[in-house]
Order: sequence, then C-alpha cells, then structure tokens
Amino acid sequence: MTDPKQRITEAEAIEQAKQGHEAAFETLYHLHKRRVYSLCLRMVPNPAQAEDLAQEAFLQLFRKIGTFRGESAFSTWLHRMTVNVVLMQLRKKGLPVVSLEETLESEDESPRKEFGTQDAKLTGSIDRLQLQRAIDKLPPGYRTVFVLHDVEGFEHNEIAQIVGCSIGNSKSQLHKARLKLRDYLKFMRAEKAKTG
Amino acid sequence: MKCSEVERVLPELVDGSLAAAFPADFESHLESCPACANLVSDLTLIATEARDLAECDEPSPRVWVRIAAQLRDEGLIRDPESRPILVPASPRRRWTSTAWWLAPVAAAVLAAGAYVVSHKPAPQVATQVSAPAPTNPAPQNSAQKSPDISPNPALVATTSQPVPATHSPTPKLAKPSDVVASAAYPTVEHEASAEDQQFLSVVSTRAPSLRATYEGQLQTVNANIREVQAYLEHYPGDQDARQQLMDAYQQKALLYQIALDRIQ
Amino acid sequence: MAVLQQARIDYTNTVVTVVLVTCLSAASLAQSKKEYSYTVGPRANISVETQYGAISVKPGSANQVLVTATFKSDNVEVDQQQNGNRIEIASHLLRGTDPQIGHIDYELLIPPDANINLRSSNGPLSVERLQGDLTLEGTDAVVDIREVENGHVHVRTMRGPVTLTDVRNGHVEIDSISGDIQMKSVTGPLVQARSGSGRILYDGDFGSDGDYKFTTHTGDIEALVPADVSAAFRAHSVLGRVRHDFPLKPRHSRFREEAGRSFIGTSGQAASEVLLRSFSGRIRLKQR
Repeated sequence: MTDPKQRITEAEAIEQAKQGHEAAFETLYHLHKRRVYSLCLRMVPNPAQAEDLAQEAFLQLFRKIGTFRGESAFSTWLHRMTVNVVLMQLRKKGLPVVSLEETLESEDESPRKEFGTQDAKLTGSIDRLQLQRAIDKLPPGYRTVFVLHDVEGFEHNEIAQIVGCSIGNSKSQLHKARLKLRDYLKFMRAEKAKTG
Repeated sequence: MKCSEVERVLPELVDGSLAAAFPADFESHLESCPACANLVSDLTLIATEARDLAECDEPSPRVWVRIAAQLRDEGLIRDPESRPILVPASPRRRWTSTAWWLAPVAAAVLAAGAYVVSHKPAPQVATQVSAPAPTNPAPQNSAQKSPDISPNPALVATTSQPVPATHSPTPKLAKPSDVVASAAYPTVEHEASAEDQQFLSVVSTRAPSLRATYEGQLQTVNANIREVQAYLEHYPGDQDARQQLMDAYQQKALLYQIALDRIQ
Repeated sequence: MAVLQQARIDYTNTVVTVVLVTCLSAASLAQSKKEYSYTVGPRANISVETQYGAISVKPGSANQVLVTATFKSDNVEVDQQQNGNRIEIASHLLRGTDPQIGHIDYELLIPPDANINLRSSNGPLSVERLQGDLTLEGTDAVVDIREVENGHVHVRTMRGPVTLTDVRNGHVEIDSISGDIQMKSVTGPLVQARSGSGRILYDGDFGSDGDYKFTTHTGDIEALVPADVSAAFRAHSVLGRVRHDFPLKPRHSRFREEAGRSFIGTSGQAASEVLLRSFSGRIRLKQR
C-alpha cells in the first residue's frame, strides 16, 4: 500500500475501482486476500490450485464491480463469489460437493462405542496445523460443509442454498465432519505422543 | 436423557455452543456421562478453533501480479495518471544517416538486462514499484485459452496484433507494505524508453508500413520485461525469474536486430 | 460509302490495337520468370533476400545452383552476384515502388551440402532435404523446414510461425517474438526454441545425448513423448501451471520441486537433458 496517510477506505476504493484505478483494485485485493485464499485452500488443499481459484474469484469480482451498489457488504459479495468459484471447480472435477445421504448413520458413528472406555477428550487448544491437516483429509463433501459453516460462518440455510442440499443434510454432514476430525486429531495426538 | 438421545441432537449443534440450544436435562446428562461430555466438549472445541482458520493463510504476491496483468489485458485498469511508454505517431524526424546505431542499441539493451539480472537489490528499500502490464494480444493468453494444446499443422501468424499505445502505460503501482523494491529498476526503464522512441522514429521513416507491427511487438516485449521485473520486486532471489528477465531482454534485442536487418 | 469504309478501318484499327496489347501483355507475362545458374564447389554459401516473396529451397545437383525468380511486378529487379563459392541474390525495388507490389518468388535447387541464408518479410520460407547450415529470418514469414540433417539451423521470426519436421543431428536455434514453434521428430546435440508469446509444441523422443531448451514468456509449452523416452526433465513456470502426465523417477537436483509450478525427474536412462521454462505460460509433458 502507499503512505498510510493516503490509505483509502473500502468504499472509496470501490468507487475508484469502478473508474479503473489500479491502486483501488489493489487496495480491495489486499483487504480481502487472506479470507479468499484461506477459503480456497481449505476447500482444495493444494496451494497452486487455491491460488488459481483465488485469482479467479477476484477477477470475477473486479469484472462486475461496476454493478456493485452497496446493498450488501462488499465482503459478503466477495465471499459468496469465492464459494461459487470453488464449488464450480469441484463440480468440474466430478468431486462430490456434498454427500447425498440424509440421515445420521446410527451404529458406527455413535458415541456409544466409547462408553466404558473413559475416552480422553481433546484437552486445551487444538494445534492449528494439525487441524488444517485433518480438514485436508476429510472427504470433499464433508469438507465443503465444515469449511462453509465452522470456518466461514455460513448458516445451514445458506449452505443448503449454495450447495443445493437440504438443511437437514447440511447439519448431518457437518456433524459427521466434526466426528471425523475428532478421530483424526486424536490419532495425530496419539502418534505424536508415541514419537515424543 | 439417554446417550442415544444425545446422539440424535448433536447435529443440531449450532455455532459451537450447545448450551443455549438445549434443554436442562441435556446438561445434567453431560454431568453424569463423561463419554458424552467429552464428545460434546471436543466437537465444540473443533468448531471454535475452526473459526481462526478463516484468514490464516496468505497467497503469494504472484497472485496479485497475475490479477493485475489480466485486468490490464481486459482494459479494466484505466489509470489516468499513467503515461504511455511509447511515443504516439507524431512529428517524424528525418534521419539522414543509416540506422547503424540500432546494432549497438540492441547490444545495450542486452547489457542492461544482464545488469538488472545480476544486480542484487538492497533489502527493505521502500521505493516505487512498477506494475506488470503484459499486453498480450493473443487470445491464447486470456483465461479462455483451451486446456489442451493440440498440434496444428496450419499454424498461422495471427498471434499478435498491434496494440494501441493507450493500452500499455507505465503505471505507478501503490506499493504493498511488504514489498522489497529494486533500486536499480527505475534507471533501466528510463534508458529503454528513449531508445524505443528512436527506434520507432527510424522505422516510421524507413518502413512506415511496418511501424504498427513493430510498435505492437515492442509493446509486447516491454510489457514482458516489466512483468518479470515486477515479479522480481517481490521475489528477488528467484533465479528462474532472473533468467526469464534475461530472456525477455534478449527478445527485445532480437526485435531490434530483426528491424535492423529489415530497414537497412 | 466513305463513312462505312472509315468505320471499317476504325474497327480494324481497334482490333489490331487490342491484339497488339494482348500480345505485349503475354510477352511481359512470359518474361516474368528468370533463371540463374551458377557452378559451385563443396559447401557453397548461398544468400537470398527479398522483402515480399516466397523462397523455396530443395536439393539439386552436387555442384550447381539453379535459381528461378518469378516476378509479380515489372518494378522490381534481381541483384545477383557470385564471388567464388558465395552467391548473393536480392530483390531490388525500383524507386517509388510499393514493396508489397514489388514481389519476387524464388525457387532454388542447390547442392545438398550448401549453406543457405534466407530472408523475407512475409515469406513463406521453405527448405527441405539439405545437410548444410541454414539461417532463415522473416518478419511474418511462415517458416517450414523438413528432412534436414547434420547442419546448424538458425531461425528468427517476429510473428511468423516456425515448423520443423525430421530435423536431425544438428544444432537448432529458433527465436521468435510471438510466433508459434512446432517441432516434430527434431533431435540433435542442441535444440533450443524460444518464443515470447507463441506456443512451443514438441512431438518426439528427445533423441539421445542432446540438450533441449524450450523457453517462452507467456506462450504454452507442450511436449509429447513416447513411453520409452530417455531424458532428464526439468520444467518450471514462474506463474503458469506445470504438469506431467506420466510418472518420472525422482532426480537429485539443487532445484526445488513445487507442486503445480515445477517438476524434476527422469525417464529411462536420462540420456538427454530437457529444460522447459516459461514465465506465465503453461507447461505440459504428455505421453503419446
């Protein structure tokens, strides 16, 4: 960015970007790059692909910036566009965006298995890198819903609309994703304890 | 409440906070059932920690470089304060001597490139950075290019069109705070501009029908040079990029040499 | 009656005039080809330069150079001279002539071991079945070189596309600002192709014991190779996507591999060295 005294607000940057000012585009990019890129990286755990998707999301946004009227927050607009870009990419690759099953599997995912074992919980905070790795291991369908809800903060009704599933499906996918993450994290912790 | 009922309501977990959504007997069950309590605690922790991942990764500077390049290609960047790098078609000076100077100029362009490539930038020097402005006229370089390259026995020379001077300005980029700039860069660009102007003047005089062609190609090679230089501002240690910069200067020297052969 | 006779005379005069003009035109068309013949020794050097016009070179007899110049205009001449084993031919525009109209096409039959130097703005330039050194330069000229071996091949174009087919055992250097470069069955101790925004396409096996370097700025690079290719590969694009479609063996190198941006590896005995570089073009190594 230029001299901090000359830093412009997001609203000013949007208006200047509509006029074609490069500095304004760059301001908007730097304001939102981490959010956009992190979302892409969570959804497609490959840095090169995530960068391509982030680039595409910004380009689509900048191409349409002339139509932005300020009815909603700019970040919301960008956020939604990024999700669409990523989901389109996943669909193009034939990867499931969300699983089709509606109901919770009853037996093998039940906490009943842990009864009587006094299963230790994930105490304290979770190692961020381990959490990232665990998210990367999730099946794509689970990962989509988990990232959209728990990382990005979308509501289930929004997720249902974005990915084209029911609210119930969104909730059950999220629950399964969290259960799987719990298993991965415990495994990683146990492995780390073994190696010291 | 039984464990099986806990199992049924867990999907209703909202925003990592179960307590607000669930009845009192849920709480009392958790107090008496360590397994369910641990499970709920873990899932809540995962949901909470996940929030911190929302903005924890930063893309490499090359992403902005590519975005800016594409915006320029599409004409979405129209900086009013930028100046064109080439002199537009205006008073043509008569050159009575042959264009003998083009050969040493071509060599000078190459030498300038070698200097820039080998120069190690001073760290943390906060100077103005030039933006990449590749004016790639070929459609193949846009986002619409086909994913596969198929052999085309009838390759035709339609990969370039002359680009109007207004599409290849020398913009002043607002420098991100984390960018390291090269102190030598502005000097080199200034020298190249004067030579480009001379070059086009001679072409206009000796082969006016070719001016548009050479002008377009010159814009392309200059844009390529600027693009790599801008990248090297962010990644001064990238040896491959330095070699690419040398190649870009060689391309410019090649253009001068082809012109020299053509108009003598 | 006198009027009728006069009209008949006028008519006859007109017919005669028309016939005469037609004959003269035919004569000028008949004169639009000229042939030049030279006797040379081994490794002759032949240079042909024309601003606008095609140049085609094929092998002929061992000690003779035959040049056929086809004139598309009366306002252009051929300057030609021989100094020992060196022949120089150039189109010469008469004063005030538009170069695009002053058009001469050349066809040459030369000794297979002769060296040639061709230059044309819009070409096309074509060379086949020779063994000497070739230097070709064109602005927009389409360049086509086929079945050439042992010699050095240097090609420079601004926008003209370049195609090489069955070029073996020589040094090959191709430079283009924005022309596409296509190589099929091109092998040799050194094969170097550089284009700014043009594409580079290679279809072949990279021979054995050769050094291959393909470089672009924005153009894509694609190499199509057989399963038994024997080469050590390094590919890197600063901003573009890089991929290989068949497995490579790991290779110890000071260069780091970066998923999606570069790869390093070997296939077979790694007899040849292949370097694919681009600034923002895509690079792809595919198995045929």
